[in-house]
Amino acid sequence: MNYPVWDVAFGAGLLMALVAGLHVFVSHFAVGGGLFLVLTEIKARRGQDHQLLNWLKAHTKFFVLTTVVFGAVSGVGIWFTIGLISPTATSDLIHIYVWGWAIEWVFFFLEITAALLYLNGWEKLEPRLHQWYGWIYFITAYASLVVINGIITFMLTPGHWIENHQFWTGFFNPTYWPSLAFRSCICLALAGIYALITASVQKDAALKARIVRWAALWTVPCLAMLPVFGRWYISRIPKDLWANARGAMPTGTMFAGLACMLLGVTLLLALLALAWPRRLHLAFALVVALVAFGAMDSFEFVREAVRKPYVIENYLYANSLYAGPVAGDGGFTVDKVSDAGVLKAARWVNNRELNLGNQVAAGREIFRVECSSCHTPDSYRGIHQFLVRREWDQDTIKGMIGGLYLMHNGVMPPFAGTDAERGALAAYLATLQTAHPAVGGVVDGKTVYEHDCAMCHALRADDHLFSNMPRDPKAAVDALKDLPSMFPVMPDLKLSEGERAALVQWVNTVRPAAAQPALPPPAAAPSKGGN
Amino acid sequence: MIDPSMVPSLDPNPLPAPYWVFKLLLVVTFTLHMMAMNLMLGGAALALLARWRKGNAYGNRIFLDVAKKVPSLMAATISLGIAPLLFVQVLYGQYFYTSSILLAWPWFLVIVFVIAAYYGFYFVAYRGEHRPLAAGRAMLFSTTLVLLVGFIYTNNITLGLVPTRWAQKYSNSASGWHLNLTEPTLFPRYLHFMISAVAVGGLLLVLMAWAKWKQEREYALALFQFGGKAFMYANMAQIVIGMAFLMSLPREERMLFMGDSPLASALLGIGLVGAFAIIFLMSAALRKEDIRLAGLGVTSITAVVIATMCVMRDMVRDAYLEPYLKAQPYTVQTQWSPLLLFLGVFVAGVALWAVMLWRYGFFTKAGAAGK
Repeated sequence: MNYPVWDVAFGAGLLMALVAGLHVFVSHFAVGGGLFLVLTEIKARRGQDHQLLNWLKAHTKFFVLTTVVFGAVSGVGIWFTIGLISPTATSDLIHIYVWGWAIEWVFFFLEITAALLYLNGWEKLEPRLHQWYGWIYFITAYASLVVINGIITFMLTPGHWIENHQFWTGFFNPTYWPSLAFRSCICLALAGIYALITASVQKDAALKARIVRWAALWTVPCLAMLPVFGRWYISRIPKDLWANARGAMPTGTMFAGLACMLLGVTLLLALLALAWPRRLHLAFALVVALVAFGAMDSFEFVREAVRKPYVIENYLYANSLYAGPVAGDGGFTVDKVSDAGVLKAARWVNNRELNLGNQVAAGREIFRVECSSCHTPDSYRGIHQFLVRREWDQDTIKGMIGGLYLMHNGVMPPFAGTDAERGALAAYLATLQTAHPAVGGVVDGKTVYEHDCAMCHALRADDHLFSNMPRDPKAAVDALKDLPSMFPVMPDLKLSEGERAALVQWVNTVRPAAAQPALPPPAAAPSKGGN
Repeated sequence: MIDPSMVPSLDPNPLPAPYWVFKLLLVVTFTLHMMAMNLMLGGAALALLARWRKGNAYGNRIFLDVAKKVPSLMAATISLGIAPLLFVQVLYGQYFYTSSILLAWPWFLVIVFVIAAYYGFYFVAYRGEHRPLAAGRAMLFSTTLVLLVGFIYTNNITLGLVPTRWAQKYSNSASGWHLNLTEPTLFPRYLHFMISAVAVGGLLLVLMAWAKWKQEREYALALFQFGGKAFMYANMAQIVIGMAFLMSLPREERMLFMGDSPLASALLGIGLVGAFAIIFLMSAALRKEDIRLAGLGVTSITAVVIATMCVMRDMVRDAYLEPYLKAQPYTVQTQWSPLLLFLGVFVAGVALWAVMLWRYGFFTKAGAAGK
């Protein structure tokens, strides 16, 4: 709201995922591959293995062309892209951690210099001096990871930084060490996986086998250690956040499953390569790399997903609103924007006043400033697809927006704005709806649940819908008549009698027969900080 | 409507060191970035020119020799560009992010262009000898991309200086395709930067000639003549373009350099005298075949001129943004231990960097010649 919003038709989030996804797969190789180069050189020289040494020279070139060119520039690309998509978060992260970034820059500069000298020094330098450059490369590259890890983990678990705003508190945050261990393992595993690619094109089968066995020594143990460090990592993430990867949030859960599965497949493929090292084909090596890429990016998606709806947990929402009042917040908190009205508070909107003629136009602008950091109208995380699945009309949409922060374990920020603005947003979103409920058809309780309740009420015995709904069908059908009277944030759904009856019947068939102890009523709107 | 006089507010987090620390780091690192960029782009452009020029026995050799240096200079340009990119966001984030968003797609394409250009340069460096035709095309392709990147940068930086233009552009479209083509300073400014690259590229050739002066006089002389002349002609053009740039500035900013600000006027004076001096000295060096005068004397003065220009550029920016900067004063809360750690790492890093180059042989004649 403070900054203009870049309208990317296919989704700004997708662009970010593309840049970051490609970058991390190369940048972790850049770290682990450095140690791989220098240790392989030592091994080859000690064993006077000239063939291995010659392969390593070619591998160095591959390494430098991949990491120094694509790896380094795509890293700058992340900066460019987050500045375009989340300028507020970028500005925050720059001001909070400029000295971290600056320290990382020094390491980066040394790293690039050492990589180029190591590559160009193969024929020119005596072995010990050549290895000295290799060590400098690896140490400075690892130091880069040590620094950036602090800032990335800060975004997920800022810990006590929220209270004291101290550099080191945020830097050495609860997930700092497990993440460092986890990422170090990824770096070393990738060193071996990338080595398979250049090994696979060797004509000498014996040499190829030697390289594959050596590469497996890096890949297999590190992949096997990842679940151990992963568990440690997860144990340091607050439980309510981790629930997003355990069923509460569809995307987070899917990627968590995918990450585990692809990690297993990567390990299996690495073992297969080890079983027939002389027959390793380039296509197979590329498949291993591709699967590893999928595993790694799924992990990064999970990390981003569990953090939702925040960019900086408990501090800044993905749509650039601060979770609570902070000195100098510029009025960009959910409460203040709700008081002032989003069309007044946002700087980059043209429709300042609402009237009968500009509902949709104003709603589109509200969508842009509040929703488009994650959603598109009909593409990536498209609202159109979401609405078609649920058949909501404009009134239902308006009601549902009031409880956004309750959906899928609180994966979205609360709507910030006045009631009339909520109506305008609903009017715009309704233009994206193309499905209309069939009139007079057979009503199925499960469908009613999936369309109208499942976003907030998970299918769990302890959920309010399943634990608190009256056991008596008639009483339950009556109670569902007026949802806001039960809990003010509930949308005024106006379900037909048939729908209510079907829903009640279905709920009674799926919930346990014995009544669950009543849970306390849910908290009011999390205007001071979400979940 | 969007208020045309509005700029985004500062974020709540204070500056973690006094303003001048960031200003100093910004100007120093930007100057280094400019020097590396000039060497890279100028080197690439002159390599192409050397190859196209008829009647030069060494044309192709110059092309290949310079092309071998371009990827490392590209690495230096990018590495040295990251620091000013960081510090400009510390001090001028509101302007920088906003203008970037208005031309988001071109700005994003910078990354794509840089990666493509970088691979093109590597192709020429590694395969130039064996695939001359493809190498020439790749060099042209990469150089063109870098020129485009420069143009996008100039658009973004100039758009960041005129907040009054933002609202209109954004109201027209939020899809991120706004260049700043109506800006009167755009083309003089762009040419000023690009022609300076050609001049400094000439110096790169002179320095390469110096490294080969004893072993291969004839080739070194050809390099010297070509590089030295390119340097001179580019600087002559630069004086004219520089003046055009100055004249295209709004009156208030222009008058800074014409008496309103003694410091700015003095810097312009130093820049102008320096520009004439380097042309004169290079001409004398070429006449007398005095490679030392060109390689050491002219290079040193050119470095001073570039630094002067970078300071002037910064003063222009602050003059443009003065009313906005005054309205949004920074709060400062120094993070002492991270700051000291940075300074320690920086000093140690520079020392280690020098040792790396020294051990590699960059500072010995044999080493330099061997490169």
